[in-house]
Amino acid sequence: MSRTRDIRSADSPPAPPASAPDPQRVALLLRPPLLVGAAALGGARVARGIASLFAGTLLRAINRQSERGAVAEQMFNIGNRSLFFVAVTLGFIALVSVFQVCLQLNRVTGDLSKVGLELIKLMVHESAPSLTAMMLATRVGAGIAAEIGSMVVTEQVDALRMSGVDPVSYLILPRFLACLLMTPVLAVFAFGVALGSGTAMAYVAFGVNPSIFVDFSAVTAADVGIGVVKCFCFGAAIPVVSGYCGLTTFGGSEGVGAATTRAVINASLAVLALDLLLTVAGFMLFPPSAA
Amino acid sequence: MIRFSRVSKAFRDPLLVDVDLDIESGAIWGLIGPGAGGKSVLLKIAAGLMRPDAGRVEIAGRDITGDDETALAQTRERIGMLFQNNALFDFMTVLDNVAFPLRRRGVADDEAEARAEKRLRAVGLAGSEHKMPSELSGGMQKRVGLARASVADPEVVIYDEPTAGLDPVTTSKIYDLLREDHEASKPTTIVVSSDVDALLSFAPRVALLEGGVLRYDGDAAAIAESDDAVVRQFVTGSLEGPL
Repeated sequence: MSRTRDIRSADSPPAPPASAPDPQRVALLLRPPLLVGAAALGGARVARGIASLFAGTLLRAINRQSERGAVAEQMFNIGNRSLFFVAVTLGFIALVSVFQVCLQLNRVTGDLSKVGLELIKLMVHESAPSLTAMMLATRVGAGIAAEIGSMVVTEQVDALRMSGVDPVSYLILPRFLACLLMTPVLAVFAFGVALGSGTAMAYVAFGVNPSIFVDFSAVTAADVGIGVVKCFCFGAAIPVVSGYCGLTTFGGSEGVGAATTRAVINASLAVLALDLLLTVAGFMLFPPSAA
Repeated sequence: MIRFSRVSKAFRDPLLVDVDLDIESGAIWGLIGPGAGGKSVLLKIAAGLMRPDAGRVEIAGRDITGDDETALAQTRERIGMLFQNNALFDFMTVLDNVAFPLRRRGVADDEAEARAEKRLRAVGLAGSEHKMPSELSGGMQKRVGLARASVADPEVVIYDEPTAGLDPVTTSKIYDLLREDHEASKPTTIVVSSDVDALLSFAPRVALLEGGVLRYDGDAAAIAESDDAVVRQFVTGSLEGPL
């Protein structure tokens, strides 16, 4: 006879068998993978939408479906109106970078003759295109998403379609072409400002002669090529990504705000991802030893 | 003729459920119903701005349900639409807003402007041609929207809430304009309005959508005697009933 005593009262519910899983625990365990899955599906849907919009925009560009005068207007909006912002940002970044590098080198070797050489090489293939594009992703990307998004929520995009207008040709294509053309121009301008401010900092704070600082001898054709390709790729990505965010806006002013935020984040991420891809591709095509 | 055959549409919730509706060419149709009943969705499907999840939409005997964007754009050229919030292009002047559909249809600039000016005079907005939409009152913006919807002499005109937010006098003026437009070129006219009394006196035939379901489709004069308690309550505005 067993000595153990059943502590359960007669009317308490029977305990579940040891093998039966607790539904609440199962739901809790499944929640993270389900959330990850939903996010992945959402991301894939957005990526497909952006790829489709990019292909459609490119097709319309080839068929020359852009509005007369619209590209020039957008070039002014995207290019001229970004000049100050890009100049200030790149100028300050160059000032700080040169100051820090010179400060550290002074402590270690004291030889500052190669600072300009390395800064220029880095600026040509990396900093000028990518930092200019990041600035454009915030200023231009936000503007495009807000403008198109507010047109969507006020039914102006539907009104365009009722008037026989293709919204991609009318709204996306001019911005795409303008950004494609103006990003390299702005990057060259930004490079000039950064070079000027870096040279000034090196001369004023560390006494480096500008004729020594401004040294292009390390810049190769590959550096210039990679820089130019990056500019065009960033210039193509920013308006398409932010235009997609604008066209998929829903809700009222809150929706426009969300679309603008989404546009800045997605366009910046697109620039960073493209930068990594193009840098790796450039490294593989033109290894440093061959350059 | 515009024919909706078992048209359904849903986002999260069903917006239209198996809607069957025939609208004769040249007729004036009123579309009424409680908010979020599917009226605007039905209009957008008729205009080719939205695709139904199921069912068929025919315009002048042609099924547009499976049309691609190019074919839909051609269909839209035969349709004019006044949007609920007017949807005026805020970066264009009043004149450019009205001339825009004409220019897009290939009408020469001079002719487009002349026709737009004539249309603006007809809606009582002579002298406002060079103002921006933001400089106009709600009623004036509505009239610009009306002018733009009908400037290209479309075969079908869709008015989504043409009198929303307007005072009774402006409402009467707007309905007079709609009547004059219809008498001038006899387009098939579909009007959605929350102003049931004004709409019932304007449209000889009406349909009532409630929760995406077509509850009434028939004479405007007989709607108050409908067998459906929902329809009767909505039309009479009674507080007692299923709504």
